[in-house]
Amino acid sequence: MPRFFSNKRLILLLVGVIVLVALISFSLKDRQNATLPEQIVKDVVGFGQSIFSKPAHYITGTLDKIDGILNTYEENKHLKARLKEYAANQAELADVKADNKELREIVDKKDSLRDYEPIQATVISRNPDQWEEKIIIDRGSVEGVELNMAVITASGLIGKVVLVTPFKSTVELLSTENRDFRVAAVIPGDKSIFGLIEGYDSARGELIMKRIDSNFEVKEGQKVESSGLGGIFPKGLLIGEVTEVSTDDFGLTKLAYIRPAAEFSMLDHVMVVKRSSRITSGTDGIVAGEEEEGEDGS
Amino acid sequence: MIRFIIPLIAVILFFLEPVFSLFSPISIADVSYTLVPRFVIVYLIFITAYYGRRRAIQYGIVLGLLYDMYHIDIIGVYTFLYPVICYFAALIIRQIHRHIITVMLLSMAMVALLELLSYFFASLIALTSIGFEEFIVLRLMPTMGANSIFVGMFGYLFKRLIDEVGLQKAGI
Repeated sequence: MPRFFSNKRLILLLVGVIVLVALISFSLKDRQNATLPEQIVKDVVGFGQSIFSKPAHYITGTLDKIDGILNTYEENKHLKARLKEYAANQAELADVKADNKELREIVDKKDSLRDYEPIQATVISRNPDQWEEKIIIDRGSVEGVELNMAVITASGLIGKVVLVTPFKSTVELLSTENRDFRVAAVIPGDKSIFGLIEGYDSARGELIMKRIDSNFEVKEGQKVESSGLGGIFPKGLLIGEVTEVSTDDFGLTKLAYIRPAAEFSMLDHVMVVKRSSRITSGTDGIVAGEEEEGEDGS
Repeated sequence: MIRFIIPLIAVILFFLEPVFSLFSPISIADVSYTLVPRFVIVYLIFITAYYGRRRAIQYGIVLGLLYDMYHIDIIGVYTFLYPVICYFAALIIRQIHRHIITVMLLSMAMVALLELLSYFFASLIALTSIGFEEFIVLRLMPTMGANSIFVGMFGYLFKRLIDEVGLQKAGI
């Protein structure tokens, strides 16, 4: 039986473990802000990373195009059928928009929760050990990205910014297991139904919307959007579609499973959403100061 | 010039890992399997086997630190795991013959060990709530599969390359 560690090595190992535990606890404490060395490392490594990921996106893009060409005939047939419907919808939308603008002018209401400025960004990497669902994008505070902003793709909401450095930022996806990740959501209809997106069922691949008032009736197939009442996300970002409704653990409120509208794998181009109307501090779904209250209440 | 090729490959693999993880998770029949690219540790095991333990541990500390700062935002996890795994690999490699097949198998075993340790760490600080069986089926097995393809494709190349650099160094 060989000796695994000599005395000198044992001491070295112990000192190493102590230093690392100290480092881990130091960095776990405040993960929302990066220290200066961290910021420098993130920006420098991120620069190198984008050199590698841009060609990779080009290759996957080309493969997608080839795939698209193969399906052209069927898609074309399908789209032609939809085209007439689309034209009618388009006309109606233009009409409604003009109407809305006029009415807004009458009531003299200028800023809407729906308005936002998109910041275009490219995904340069995904956290390779996928315990946390995080991606890194190539826009940072210099381009106007701020903490807790919503991130969307063309098909819907995917997550929010959790860490910003001057040239890069880290985005946590909706499919995270982090319990503190909440999004104030609404199911639009005759009566708006409010709730919070809280948690992700990884076995089903669906989001869970909690705290829905049990007086309202939620139907399968209804669309879910961000409500804009959390203070940071704009209103009307599509989140997904209701697939199943049940009651929560205590039977007091309803709970709905939501199939996300956006895909969380193979992300390449995303938009960071900067709300035009005033932004409150805190994270979406928890207005600053309300957090402690909420914890006590539950 | 050829001296720089070993660290250069390590850096390239470090940058390739997150690119490949963009493809994950893969869903087959409504079950999503997570594939974790572990190219760097495989390469470090090859360095341990054919070049030297000391060098492998040095690279492990530097790359682990970068990995922690850039991806994980918790400093100290991979900074600790990479060198420790290289050290274990060095202990094992002393007892066995350094044939390419055994080194390949060893690197796969070490990938599994790394996954296991990172799972324990993630469940310790509550980053994940998946059970052990789920972890084995949905994460460990697909990861081993994907990485064994990588080892099979590049293992021999790594050996040749590192041997060559080692020989040149001995020649001088």
